[in-house]
Amino acid sequence: MSSPASLLLAGSATEIARAVRAGECSASGLCEAALERIEATDGRINAFTAVTAERARARARALDALPLDAALPLRGVPFAVKNLFDVAGLPTLAGAKIEADRSAAAADATLVRRLEAAGAVLVGALNMDEYAYGFTTENTHYGPTRNPHDPARVSGGSSGGSAAAVAAGQVPVTLGSDTNGSIRVPSSLCGVFGLKPTFGRLSRAGTYPFVASLDHLGPFARSVADLAAFYDAMQGADALDPACAQRRDEPVGPTLATGIGGLRVATLGGWFETMAGPQARAAVRRVAESLGASATVEWPLARAARAAAFLITNAEGASLHLEDLRTRPDDFEPLSRDRFLAGALLPAHWVLRAQRVRQRFAREVAECFAHVDLLLAPATPVVAPPIGTETLDINGVVLPARPSLGLLTQPVSCIGLPVCAVPVWGVHETLPIGVQIIAAPWREDLALRAAAALEAAGVCHAPVARL
Amino acid sequence: MTEEEIAAAVDANAALVRLPLADAHRAGVLRYFALAAEMAELVLAVPLGRDDESAAVFRPVAPPEAP
Repeated sequence: MSSPASLLLAGSATEIARAVRAGECSASGLCEAALERIEATDGRINAFTAVTAERARARARALDALPLDAALPLRGVPFAVKNLFDVAGLPTLAGAKIEADRSAAAADATLVRRLEAAGAVLVGALNMDEYAYGFTTENTHYGPTRNPHDPARVSGGSSGGSAAAVAAGQVPVTLGSDTNGSIRVPSSLCGVFGLKPTFGRLSRAGTYPFVASLDHLGPFARSVADLAAFYDAMQGADALDPACAQRRDEPVGPTLATGIGGLRVATLGGWFETMAGPQARAAVRRVAESLGASATVEWPLARAARAAAFLITNAEGASLHLEDLRTRPDDFEPLSRDRFLAGALLPAHWVLRAQRVRQRFAREVAECFAHVDLLLAPATPVVAPPIGTETLDINGVVLPARPSLGLLTQPVSCIGLPVCAVPVWGVHETLPIGVQIIAAPWREDLALRAAAALEAAGVCHAPVARL
Repeated sequence: MTEEEIAAAVDANAALVRLPLADAHRAGVLRYFALAAEMAELVLAVPLGRDDESAAVFRPVAPPEAP
């Protein structure tokens, strides 16, 4: 029989926090419900690489000892983080076997600290592609994270555990990272909402870098209000991350339900249409129709920007691991090792030129945003492929499956634009696919407003998978 | 780039950065270097001017405040 806490757990974070603040349920009760759900389901999903039960119970007890009117907007909400976030007492795996031998983290990452300060309760660390270099979370060391809506299929990556844990109803909100699509791709394949904020918006201090030039952090959730609540609790400058903007907080919660009146929305064509399968294009059409987006715009440099992101990622990622690539290459993930090795060999000119193309593309897109507020594009070319899939057929072109899942996200993160990925159902018989709602830099509020409007209209939703 | 040019670049650069390549990894490295070369062609084809600066911008680091 379902307990009140387990029913709350299957709902939203904002409702959990309201119920705990009202004294209708304890943080400890929610914590136990999350731990039980993880225990009952993770054998089939493999989202978690560590469950921090003792720490979570202690934190929940401490919360329950505080007065009910304490200013804790996320009071009692269980959450989990991709295992590249530092969690005090755990080695920061970043999906790698190599990192399991390193010392445990001495302190929590900045974002973990901020969420716990707002009353949330960390319950564990989540599986990912090794060093975030992948789009499927087929991790050879720690096993694949399976898609909760069809465990024979991939969850997407590299934050696959983060999306799967939310889709499986293990926790209502998780954190992940996105360098080339690693929040938006698993959001799309697991049917949850994901927010990749503007580059520099959220502090990355205390997380394992993949490509410092391109790394972003952000939340996954089953409702837009939950994304917004966690995002607002994480905002703020941080001198410990040199890329984190010295910018005042710009909370999105107050404007979330104000609708889309006055917003100019268009669909991205060109690259974003050519490289999308029929179901991805159908999902965009459905969202466009709901948002009244009839115009199509193109970014002529999108393909070159994707190439620039590829080169910067390849070279910078490889450079970070060069010593281990020299001395212990066989300890790397076989699915990405050869890519890392090749990345260590790229001519400097290619990479420096890629950084200049990136800036040129950012200027081109900035001009585009003078005429439009939001742009729509598919998040992935296809729905979740079966685990082990080697190639994808996209409109008759056969491409390698693992890198190609990020074809439509890479040009966008290359220039740090904020994106909310929203899940669309019904264009495939059983599986979801995501649409990117893309805004100009620092306008997360607009992307989230549109996502909230789509959710309210029933166009997008993120159900807990039947497991 | 031709297959021969790719193989030559991989061998020369691997020696330069002192990165030994095992036989078992070599075919994969050649494949991914060739893919990177394709990406480089797309990037190098974009005309850039003097004012197209790098997106990698240095941020000076202030000294810590005195206690």
